[in-house]
Amino acid sequence: MISKPWRLLAILPLTTACMQYLVQPPAPSIAGSPRAVKAQSYLGSELQKPPYVLASDCRNGEQLGRVLVKRNFGQGLISWLTLGMVAPATVVYECANAGDPGLGDGR
Amino acid sequence: MAQAPVFHPDHHWSNFHQTYSQVQQGTWDLFFPASSADGKTVLADLRETTQQMHGIIAQAKQAAIPLRGVGSRWSLSAAPATTGWTINTNRLRGRMRIDPALVDPGYTGTADKRNNLFLFQCGNTVADVNKVLESPALQRSLHTSGAANGQTIVGATATGTHGSALTFGALHDHIVGLHLVAPDDKHYWIERASYPVMTPAWVNSLGATLKRADDDLFNAAVVSMGAFGLIESVLIETTPRYLLNCRSGRAPLDEDLWAAIGALDFSRHSFFGGVAPYFFQAVINPATDEVLLNANYKIACPPAYQPQYGLTQDPDKIGPGFDSLSTVGFILDRFPGLIPRFSKLAADSLFDTKQRIGTPGEIYGFKAPQLHVASGSIAVALPDARMAVETLITLYRDIGPVPLVFGCRYVRKSPALLAFNRFPVGLMVSIDGIDSSLSRAFFAAAAARIEAAGLAFTQHWGKTNAYTPARVLAAYKGNLQKWKDARRQVLRTIADRQIFNNDYIAQRGLAD
Repeated sequence: MISKPWRLLAILPLTTACMQYLVQPPAPSIAGSPRAVKAQSYLGSELQKPPYVLASDCRNGEQLGRVLVKRNFGQGLISWLTLGMVAPATVVYECANAGDPGLGDGR
Repeated sequence: MAQAPVFHPDHHWSNFHQTYSQVQQGTWDLFFPASSADGKTVLADLRETTQQMHGIIAQAKQAAIPLRGVGSRWSLSAAPATTGWTINTNRLRGRMRIDPALVDPGYTGTADKRNNLFLFQCGNTVADVNKVLESPALQRSLHTSGAANGQTIVGATATGTHGSALTFGALHDHIVGLHLVAPDDKHYWIERASYPVMTPAWVNSLGATLKRADDDLFNAAVVSMGAFGLIESVLIETTPRYLLNCRSGRAPLDEDLWAAIGALDFSRHSFFGGVAPYFFQAVINPATDEVLLNANYKIACPPAYQPQYGLTQDPDKIGPGFDSLSTVGFILDRFPGLIPRFSKLAADSLFDTKQRIGTPGEIYGFKAPQLHVASGSIAVALPDARMAVETLITLYRDIGPVPLVFGCRYVRKSPALLAFNRFPVGLMVSIDGIDSSLSRAFFAAAAARIEAAGLAFTQHWGKTNAYTPARVLAAYKGNLQKWKDARRQVLRTIADRQIFNNDYIAQRGLAD
């Protein structure tokens, strides 16, 4: 029987394959829904699929409101097994409202 | 001219905090035009949004697809979830400061209120509302808002988000008029008969039908969880801008503190200096019996004060990541002995205890986003406050340590028929922490334990709750039938009501 602290220590390395980086402005104003794009980086980013992630949902002057780059256990495992030559990740982006509308007076 | 709605065939939908997900048939994005671009008025743009909503509702009705307006996906309950189409409203951010000449002569609010009525379209977040109101140009404030500011104003109010102030009700109690878009090209401007606000001529200019024959329809629609149709806009009353002087501290849970928590008697505990605050919160960590205290005092705001809302951070500081709580929840389910340490960490990170002065929008402002938080709230009348908290502490000890703490806040009664704030003065016990199977087990058991103690209680519609049809009826009694009758006034046929049904309201006995 493995003691609880050792079981905990056995679980923790599983998290090393995963990572998440969130980028957002100080005061986000999110427009629309999150969009997830699967991305693959090959040979240390010499090749990428897609070459860049196009935030095609951001329309009418909208810019990016939030970007999350994350790698789950499976993606991390692929990266580890290929020594980083294949490095898949998921990019989730959200658009930002393009400025503030004017203040009407009721008419 | 606004861009036409865009349909996305997204089948996977989850809430912001990713505590649940839903299979659906797709999402509609709606857009609000920049009024200055083509010289149209905000009112004309609102009418255009109404037309676009009608177009989508008509398609949904024809195809028998359920529909839900969703803002920031902030609810921890499944209130906004649908198996059909989601209408994403977070680009609909029209706003107006109402010209007093458009206010009905029968309006009984003060001159200050008459001169400071604001209409916000559904996609404005609480952050947007604060930013507009608290500007040096307008110098207004909300009486209260929730602790977070990412919810849209309609998403928050339709689920009964309360905020807290010892002398005021909930966020939805700012609302005095609302614009409801229903099937078959119908849309209604709804007010209380006892509190007329806008002139019939203005309602006509909106193109809506005025509904203020009684109070019940308004009191039902204002907290309706998306079940009455699409609430396009709300009209709110505001208060002169103020600052909050926030004091915090830690104390053991002794009799002097119970006097404050259980009876709002601030004369006994030295933390308050004998002065009742505007806002009071006690966060009880049952694992340690340590209580975090917040007492916010209202003070005057200098006219030139410029609020600063954005998040700041120390780039050298290490802290929990965006999704750290999912791993923590997984570990705590397997190693519950670690829970007391994490409860303290959760309390420290979930509840702001910094000494500071700011506008309500600054104090209850942007926070570091976190996934997999757990939160549910139970409200009881103030005379039952101590028994309710002690019952929850006993439950905590009975089922073992749970990664949750109890935030005690206070809210006055609302006239809304299904308001969470149903008691003359209510204690809202916000049970917050880390999403895990232990936490979910606690939420499931908490309502039953409060019920067994014989206490009348309500639960927060927008958070994890254990409402059943019987519990909803017990909580709201005759108001429940009034709410259903009011729904039939605006959604006359079964087909109309089915568009705005979802599993959440069906499981709570609200759908028909």
